[in-house]
Amino acid sequence: MFSVSHKTAFVVDHCPYMAESCRQLIECDMLTKSRSQGVIPLAPVSKSLWTCAIECSMEYCRILFDVYPTWKLVNYIVSDSEVHILNSWKQEDQNTHELMAALAAVGPPNPRQDPECCSVLHGLVAAVESLCKITEYQHESRTTLMDTADRVANRGRIICLTNAKSDTHVRMLEDCVLETIQEQNKRAAGSDRLMPIQQCELVLVHIYPQGEETLVSDRQKKELSSMLSSEVHSVRAGRYLASKLNVLVQQHFDLASTTITNIPMKEEQHANTSANYDVELLHHRDAHMEFIKSGDLHMAGSTSRDSGLKETVTLKWCTPRTNSVELHYCTGAYRISPVDVNSRPSSCLTNFLLNGRSVLLEQPRKSGSKVISHMLSSHGGEIFLHVLNSTRSTLEDPPSISEGCGGRVTDYRITDFGEFMRENRLTPFPDSMIDAAGRTPVERAKSQLERYTRYWPMIISQTTIFNMQAVVPLANLIVKDTLTDEDVLTCQKTVYNLVDMERKSDPLPISTVGSRGKGPKRDEQYRIMWNELETLVKAHVGTSERHQRVLECISACRSKPPEEEERKKRGRKREDKEDKTEKNGKDTEEKGWTTDSERLKGVMEREKDEQSECEIIKDSPDSPEPLNKKPRLATEEQQPPEKSKGLALPSASEGVVERNHHI
Amino acid sequence: MPTVVLLDSSLSMTRPVSVEGSEEFQRKNLAVHGMTMLFEHMATNYRLEFTSLVAFSSLWELLVPFSRDYNTLQEALNNLEDYDKTCLEAALQGVSNVVQQEWGTSCPCQVVLVTDGALGIGRGSLRHSLQTVKQRVDDKKFPLPFPFPSKLYVMCIANAEELQATDSMDNLEQLINLNGGEGQIYTMEGPLCLKSVQSMFGKLIDQAYSPFHAVLRCGNLTSDVQVFPRPEPVTIDEEVDPIPKTVQTDLEIVGFIEIGDISSPPVLSRHLVLPIAVSKEGDEIGTGATDDTEEETSTNQMAGKSPNFCVLLHGSLKVEGMVALVQLGPDWFGMLYSQADSKKKSNLMMSLFDPGSEPLPWLGRMSQLGPASDAAENPYGEDDSKSPFPIQPKHKRSYAQNVTVWIKASGLQTDVQKILRNAKKLPEKTQTFYKELNRLRKAALAFGFWELLKSVAELLERECTLLPDSAHPDAAFQLSHAAQQLKLASSGDSKYAAFEQNITPMLTDFSGGGGADRI
Repeated sequence: MFSVSHKTAFVVDHCPYMAESCRQLIECDMLTKSRSQGVIPLAPVSKSLWTCAIECSMEYCRILFDVYPTWKLVNYIVSDSEVHILNSWKQEDQNTHELMAALAAVGPPNPRQDPECCSVLHGLVAAVESLCKITEYQHESRTTLMDTADRVANRGRIICLTNAKSDTHVRMLEDCVLETIQEQNKRAAGSDRLMPIQQCELVLVHIYPQGEETLVSDRQKKELSSMLSSEVHSVRAGRYLASKLNVLVQQHFDLASTTITNIPMKEEQHANTSANYDVELLHHRDAHMEFIKSGDLHMAGSTSRDSGLKETVTLKWCTPRTNSVELHYCTGAYRISPVDVNSRPSSCLTNFLLNGRSVLLEQPRKSGSKVISHMLSSHGGEIFLHVLNSTRSTLEDPPSISEGCGGRVTDYRITDFGEFMRENRLTPFPDSMIDAAGRTPVERAKSQLERYTRYWPMIISQTTIFNMQAVVPLANLIVKDTLTDEDVLTCQKTVYNLVDMERKSDPLPISTVGSRGKGPKRDEQYRIMWNELETLVKAHVGTSERHQRVLECISACRSKPPEEEERKKRGRKREDKEDKTEKNGKDTEEKGWTTDSERLKGVMEREKDEQSECEIIKDSPDSPEPLNKKPRLATEEQQPPEKSKGLALPSASEGVVERNHHI
Repeated sequence: MPTVVLLDSSLSMTRPVSVEGSEEFQRKNLAVHGMTMLFEHMATNYRLEFTSLVAFSSLWELLVPFSRDYNTLQEALNNLEDYDKTCLEAALQGVSNVVQQEWGTSCPCQVVLVTDGALGIGRGSLRHSLQTVKQRVDDKKFPLPFPFPSKLYVMCIANAEELQATDSMDNLEQLINLNGGEGQIYTMEGPLCLKSVQSMFGKLIDQAYSPFHAVLRCGNLTSDVQVFPRPEPVTIDEEVDPIPKTVQTDLEIVGFIEIGDISSPPVLSRHLVLPIAVSKEGDEIGTGATDDTEEETSTNQMAGKSPNFCVLLHGSLKVEGMVALVQLGPDWFGMLYSQADSKKKSNLMMSLFDPGSEPLPWLGRMSQLGPASDAAENPYGEDDSKSPFPIQPKHKRSYAQNVTVWIKASGLQTDVQKILRNAKKLPEKTQTFYKELNRLRKAALAFGFWELLKSVAELLERECTLLPDSAHPDAAFQLSHAAQQLKLASSGDSKYAAFEQNITPMLTDFSGGGGADRI
């Protein structure tokens, strides 16, 4: 976690000699044919050593920030007669825009500045000091580890872009870094905000103009002490420097290259033809792990022309199918950065991906068999190379779920549980979102699941209430953590509605599984239903006082005749079957909550109720699920609350009326 | 995790062991007894494991390719032949090839080496192999460590004292070390007999083949499950956090996410989640596949008929195209989903994410995922048309923000050409002209490339002189204005060379196209 690549300090020489031209000419006056006559083209421009150093180091940072947006930090230092530290280790400072702005403020080196008082040494000293400074990540790790905080290491790398005089000069720079590390480590030992450097890699890049002989020789990595290793690269400015830093960024951050080949692109001039293009991407080398291990790397790869001598693995574009949402078995996903970010093929590919399309990539094989090994896909504006598993699965041919426990049961409440899952979908909350009880969002999610499942029968034949549309408003509300007065009212209305249904002896979707004949009698059905409803509400009665009120409402309203009376009633019911009106009246009389006026109302509205019966039957387990089980609460909310507050029953029957309107 | 059983079939395996008062056994017989026990265990408790059997002496032979048919494996044990001397290196190379051909290099495998601990003499002996291990050229590397993640279990049909008397024990330990310490050596305790071989293989079974049983929970809905293959402990960072993390036996669902939102996440491993019926004594009855005894069949039928949460969950996940996020331990999550194989069978599958607080950048920190109903506004929209995922990173990546790179001359030339092209279409293109101009200006200032600013200024001035008579008068004004501003910037004067500052179009009296274009 805290390897050498956690911290990279760039030290760029800003001394007068860096203003020298790199002597590579760029023609920027590309005259069009029609106008070429009589116009003298402008002289080509050439970059200074400084410009070359800056743009190549920015390219290094661009790739780094694309592939590692966090954890890999850059501290950018410019050195002349003094030190200019352009940013800090803070994560918010890690982007090229900030660095470019700071570089613009520094400007190019002043060729007229006194060379005697300018040196890259100031920058190197500052870089060592900076490596001793603790990063946010180191701080966080040390804080969480407490006793074992010493496991957090402090390592880093200094990349110095300069123009050295000679090998002796290089040695002098190395000695200076080594001495400074020793000095700073002593200081750091006594400080909380500083950490001694355990390991430092110094990468000295000597830049010289084209056409000149180099005064500094290349040198492989060498240990100067147990803490410091150093390597020297002597590079001509311009494109040589660019490819050197491209190779370095790959080495330093374990990157590898993949070339996507055969990308079909429309030609600008001829819109109906398309040509195939290649785009080279960089990413963590683990995306090639399967090739490296199996020895396929050389077979699959070819040498890339543009970026020096490194290998690139070629993968073939597979024209994507229509937007099917599929869950691929993916063993890794790595951020990418295009090598040539501004080229037309690169930006075509990246824009295609950023627009939400995914592309499968095929690994060319000798045998000619087609193996899909990778996928390019973007998530939130970042493009990832997904590694897909392309070998045989150890989980093939498993016993089907229908052969196992519970596999023979056929009436699971699949649709209801689907609805349940939608209600329990997750969403990200800002970091500070902790509720009053100190619970994190994920803890709240778990407690919501606990509440929602206190009473949740898994199969249709185990439940009556969840097969009844009439119960839905109450069932949806009772599981909530808090109820409003209005919610309680809705629950009460649901209960009154059920009472009304019972009064009218509406059939219930009771399962007939396991019982002979037609199943239980109507009043027995209601008893089962009321018991189940009570079970549901009782499971939530402890949540709040308002939940308690819902239970009280059920206890008060439900039919709960003693055994004997019930039997008597059954007998009577049989007699009364022909005359519904009378039966309704008697039933309600027995319960003792009906007034004459309400009875009248019941009679008046029976016609409408009978219409509603056909809708209620829809709820039986044999019929298909209704398209939308959700009650239309909106219309109930429109009701003026005063109207329903005092008198219970009228509002209940109004509820029925409302429902009828919706049929 | 497939298993390769690598059986020593050299002549030394036929050495008799003295057992008091009973018939004479060879070491081979003890080995076969132990392996039979292993296969029987797998056939009942670990039946989805693929196992292959390789016999070796100076040569090696694949007796049974990877299979779940433990009868075939058992049969092969009954028909073993005896060969010449032990040559382990070649056999390990053979194992490596067999595994890679079948499973590639990313699938973890267990290798069970059954040997008497007589590891050969002279060339081809393990001693010789280990002595020369550092002098190999690339194509003759020692097969360990295996290129795939592996555990090497060495089952010695010998006791520890015997092995320590020679250098066999040292050599075997070195072998485990070569495999990155992944593996273990088992020896027999006490006299070499059926009982001690049983106890030795019993230890292996406990160590490597004990089924992983867990309880899958979604609030109050639960199911007893076996997770296959069993999840192995994972170490995130050797240096900072060296203690391996293990999957807890309480798998708690925290919520649900659409497949499109979770979007083919990278996973450490995949596992089947098989509901199991647990009888009152706590014994496992079986995972529901066909069984031999009648009694078991009837219990299975009963288990098949009682509702199980796994089946419900699987059905709904499949129908809705969703996954369930499941917590595997502190700061460790995975997902449950329906996986269909080619034969239209489908199953409940669990994939493990990397341990840590943020395994998937596009979901953000796992601990910050909460119920959508807690949000002030439904993040999925009233008609399910929206999604809170993926999370957008704070900074855009380079390919999403039109960065300027002039490392190749063509990059610079294209940018200059863009400006000239727009310059020719002034004043209609005033907006784009200044946009491109400012992009170039910013980059040139950052790169300290003032010479370019001067050059482009000259180009614009020349463009101005080349304007045709029919040109809009505003064009000339804008061109010379832009050229002048670039020149000022190239002086480095902080008044004109500020990075965040932009060159704005000149306000002219020609209200035409230019005026409409102006901000």
